[in-house]
Amino acid sequence: MRFQPNEDQATFLSVLDQMAEGDAAAWKTSPEWARFEWSETFDGMLEANGFLDCAGEETLGLTMAVAMTHRVARLPVLAECAASAVLRPLVGPELPRPIAVVDGDPRDAIRFLPVARSVVHIGEGGVRRAVLNPNAVSPVDSLFAYPMGRLAAGALEWQAANADPETVRNAWRAALAAELGGALKGGLDAVVAHVKERRQFGRPLGSFQAIQHRLAGAATRIEAAHWLALKAAQSLDPVDAATALGYVQDAATRIVNDLHQFMGAMGLTLEHPLHRWTYRARLLRSAMGGAAGNLEDLAERRWRAA
Amino acid sequence: MDFDWTEEDRAFRARVRDFLARELPSDWAALSRHGPGSKEQTEFSLEFCPKLAEAGLLVPHWPSEWGGAGRPPWEHFILGEEMWAAGEPRGAQYMNVNWIGPTLMRFGTDEQKRRYIPQMAAGKAIWCQGFSEPNAGSDLASLRTRAERDGDDYVVNGQKIWTSYAGLAEHCFLLARVGGSDKGKSGIAIFLVPMATPGIEVRSIPSLIGHGDIHETFLTDVRVPASARLGQEGEAWSIINYSLANERVGIPRYELASRVLDGMVKELSKRGRFSDPVTRLRAGSASAACEAARILVHRTVDKRSRGEALGAEASIARVAVAEADHAVTDFGLDYMPDAFSGDGDLAVQTHHERAIVTGIAAGATEIQLGMIAQRWLDLPREVH
Repeated sequence: MRFQPNEDQATFLSVLDQMAEGDAAAWKTSPEWARFEWSETFDGMLEANGFLDCAGEETLGLTMAVAMTHRVARLPVLAECAASAVLRPLVGPELPRPIAVVDGDPRDAIRFLPVARSVVHIGEGGVRRAVLNPNAVSPVDSLFAYPMGRLAAGALEWQAANADPETVRNAWRAALAAELGGALKGGLDAVVAHVKERRQFGRPLGSFQAIQHRLAGAATRIEAAHWLALKAAQSLDPVDAATALGYVQDAATRIVNDLHQFMGAMGLTLEHPLHRWTYRARLLRSAMGGAAGNLEDLAERRWRAA
Repeated sequence: MDFDWTEEDRAFRARVRDFLARELPSDWAALSRHGPGSKEQTEFSLEFCPKLAEAGLLVPHWPSEWGGAGRPPWEHFILGEEMWAAGEPRGAQYMNVNWIGPTLMRFGTDEQKRRYIPQMAAGKAIWCQGFSEPNAGSDLASLRTRAERDGDDYVVNGQKIWTSYAGLAEHCFLLARVGGSDKGKSGIAIFLVPMATPGIEVRSIPSLIGHGDIHETFLTDVRVPASARLGQEGEAWSIINYSLANERVGIPRYELASRVLDGMVKELSKRGRFSDPVTRLRAGSASAACEAARILVHRTVDKRSRGEALGAEASIARVAVAEADHAVTDFGLDYMPDAFSGDGDLAVQTHHERAIVTGIAAGATEIQLGMIAQRWLDLPREVH
């Protein structure tokens, strides 16, 4: 067992860090106070520099694709990473990206659809994919911090993906666990910075034990979620995958509520980026069956023989 | 990164399991209910640990000079997982293996090492830990037991409480205040004290965690030679920080919790009571809590195996371990309450009795959360 990245992985993560700390990924308010900032620049940088193909590199692998998903989700800007880095190698390396994923009811609003060029559907009957055309997507306004859109029924030519549906589902759960965990970590970091600075009653908010203990509890769950997602990415085991996603979805509710609580009124504004993370988390909580579905599924898999 | 066991790790675990299957008696489940400090388990450990030592499974991670084989920290940890999950047949001797022995190796005089370590490595030494006092629990640095220098000796007076395993221990790893200071971390020393020394009186405290586990220890004019002091006067705090860093990740409680959860689900399924979605969801949630604890503890072992000092990661792991232990116990209380009465399910009862202490012993959860806030999140200390 080795929790340290190998040399190639360490270089990969360090270059990714440099990019993530650059201007393209920095917080700025959006025109007309949109609830998200789709960063074509940052998304393009990930693609142009080959980051999204890391799963195919022997020394990097799917574990790094999931680690990258976590890192990118910590940013206040949006890039489409999870589907391109984790799913595309499994369901169609030639699919044009960005990629939207339908992992629930195809009639629901789907994240990334308005900026996507192809779509993957992970359904009961298997995995299929399609290249998008302009008639197939209608953008919709949403409270969530993603570009959201609906698919027009019958407007696409679906192709069955030549991939094991079970593997795809497990990889997608690991990716979603990392994306949700990263969003929570981004929000936590912002709130920690705020409570160190903000003073009330003559002292920083972050010196109050009531706040310290809840943030420390959140940090504990966010740490566990990060490692569980990486482990699931390596093993692609159904129990590991359901554990990673169910655990972080279950933790997300309380963490998101606490983050907003400690940010106070500033967290209600669009002038502070907290919503960029928490309103992604509020959507990802329900993905692939949500906490209840994933935890029940984990029980089913773990004790099938019992 | 690699989150899988190596072939060597798997083979080692299999060897430990084989040993346990061979050497644990058929009435072990009933015996282990008594708790690691009980007369029954202490006597058992004095037969069992020498066999472990002979098989090279007591202190494999210790250097060969002290009876070990210089094996990697991961083997020590696999050993700990298997022993704890089996009900800890090493009794109180797990403390020697995890931290008392390594602390003596690092800070002891040659005479102290020669006198104590071989007995530990042979599986024949029972120690207790004289830390907490009536007014010094979480705030350990406020302890008041005092050791006054008198020629070549010290004379110790004071009272310890919650002293694990004191009833049958032969030696105590004792903290006492020295010099003129009444408080603070700098005026404390460690003494290695034979429990048979005149002036030591022990009273067992009946408890929920097994009879014979916790005690009050009264020290009245206890005379110990200066050669029994471990390290220098005032050095105790840095020494016990080293010891506690070993102890903080010491007990892999999630391993027993996870196996007890398996047993509960098996029993519920047998009775046709595991098809309800809410029951399954709760079992899944307890399972996820165990896996969260496991991976966070494994991260600390990985860090230690690379020779790096543990920071707040150890506290993060401990918070998760407490949550896992309680999640499993609560699942049992909600869905199979009958297991807690009579001879319903001994493993469930044993786990419950041990889980109730998780979150209190070796640094309360609130202390851990404070350390995470200040050392991991870098939040300012609370001002008074």
